[in-house]
Amino acid sequence: MTTTIPRHASADDPRVLLDEEIGVFEPVPPYPPRTEREAEFYTLRDGEMFLNMGPQHPSTHGVLRIVLKLDGERVVDLDPVLGYLHRGVEKLCENADYHQTICYTDPLEYVSALFNEWAPCLAFEKLMDVEVPPRAEYIRVLSSELLRIASHALFMGWMALDLGGLTPILWSFIERDEIVDMLSALTGARMLFNYFRIGGVNGDLNHEFMSRLGDWMSRATEQHAANIGLLNENEIFVRRMRGLGTLDTATAIRMCMTGPNLRATGLPFDIRRAHPYSVYPELEFDIPTRTEGDCLARYLLRVDEIKQSLRIIDQCLHQMPDGPVMAKLPRLLRPRPGRAYGAVEGPRGQYAVYAVSDGTDQPFRFRIHDPSFIHLQAVGTLMPGNLVADAMAVMASLDPIMGGVDK
Amino acid sequence: MDRALRRRLEARFSDALTGPVRQRHDETEIRIGPGSVSEVLRALHDEPELSFQMLLDLTAVDTGTQMQVVYHLWSPASGDWLRVIADGLSRDDPRVPSVVALWPGAEWQEREAYDMFGVTFEGNRDLRRIYMPPDYTSFPLRKDFFLADDAARSPGAGVQHMERTEAPVGAPKEALVRRTNA
Repeated sequence: MTTTIPRHASADDPRVLLDEEIGVFEPVPPYPPRTEREAEFYTLRDGEMFLNMGPQHPSTHGVLRIVLKLDGERVVDLDPVLGYLHRGVEKLCENADYHQTICYTDPLEYVSALFNEWAPCLAFEKLMDVEVPPRAEYIRVLSSELLRIASHALFMGWMALDLGGLTPILWSFIERDEIVDMLSALTGARMLFNYFRIGGVNGDLNHEFMSRLGDWMSRATEQHAANIGLLNENEIFVRRMRGLGTLDTATAIRMCMTGPNLRATGLPFDIRRAHPYSVYPELEFDIPTRTEGDCLARYLLRVDEIKQSLRIIDQCLHQMPDGPVMAKLPRLLRPRPGRAYGAVEGPRGQYAVYAVSDGTDQPFRFRIHDPSFIHLQAVGTLMPGNLVADAMAVMASLDPIMGGVDK
Repeated sequence: MDRALRRRLEARFSDALTGPVRQRHDETEIRIGPGSVSEVLRALHDEPELSFQMLLDLTAVDTGTQMQVVYHLWSPASGDWLRVIADGLSRDDPRVPSVVALWPGAEWQEREAYDMFGVTFEGNRDLRRIYMPPDYTSFPLRKDFFLADDAARSPGAGVQHMERTEAPVGAPKEALVRRTNA
């Protein structure tokens, strides 16, 4: 016995028949509001309208959907809808053994994967009281600072792209490609490295990596200066960014922000100094801050951070001790019951893992704290009052990565 | 790690603490009941000798027998990390006061904890699901939510539907859920 399915003409091509009717995408949800705030948001006042942006939009940095409430061309309010990239990494990690969790955390923020690996390693090393050999710590710092530069370089390109400039992103990718090629010589992968291990790193430095790094370091400063000249001296860019999306320190702290977005408001909070881990106490570097707290400050701060990262890499190469790169550990890890919190300073802010052990070979609770999630939330306080086009610039300046937001 | 912090905390919150102040590595940990969350966190945030002004993380933990809500704070004055565990929430109806008044940035973290564990944060105006679809009915990070392969390994009736939060039919009630007294 067969059932007949009603067929509907497609809106794009009426000759094509579809099983379901495809209507116009309606930004208002088809269910009654669940909370007070949702009810308030989905009530239009006179002259207001909804604009649905996403889930796939070139300037949403991933699969993000934002419902904008507009009055003319000004944003009045917005409601980000998350979860399009939700993979349940926390649950997967709670059902994996300690070593396996590291490759699950890799694709969270895919442009800075090493920091995602570092936070669980730090937390597990605390749980197990493992001492990491100094050479491994230096390799960790060296490789992750390289990746910080790559991530910041990409940020500059994306930011210009969201403002409508196409050239800088091409230059950013050139800069980033050199670094990820270098890291692929070290780790074997260009993006999802799976390089850090509990108690050390997967392999020692090799000749190809070192020669590429030496070559790159010899011209990195010059190349960096040339790249930022493209935007720093661009009057349109500077005038559009200045005074846009201004945030003060008190609000940034109350919004739980960390990283460059907090430092751009004037507070020198950097976990590498505020709560040191690894070998950062032995390295000399400054924490750049700016006081304006606007989009331009957030951009310029990242420019300064690249210079500091270059300084750190230089010192790592000079101070790198010899020795093993892995602590001696059993294959199957069963830490004693306990709790540990490991946090590292990533290119976007605090990456942290809260791990609870119950004495078995799997973490009992594995909480991932991601800075993008926190910063995307601040979009709700920064966007209202701006034009739609500037709203995207504000979002780009906060640098959220949807892979990390949605976990 | 600050030994003085421990004495300060013990003196200030002697009546709110439900366990000893613990210190391990660079972390200090206190346990309080869900009733004293607002009062203790406000004191930690406001009082100048404590001044834990930054909320680094907010999450929930399902220990298999009860729910916990865990706050990680950082004090710019002393550079200390403090973990506050609100302990002893019932798994049937976990309720805890919201801290959105102190940190508006906690709103989404509370929404996430609600989405994943079903913890109700009283006072959060926007407590709806954040990752899972709005018509979703279960709480995925609870310990009685099984992944498909776990359910297949269980002595119950094979693979269960992902969204089921009950134990499979015929499965022993206790053994399946991992519990910890952490």
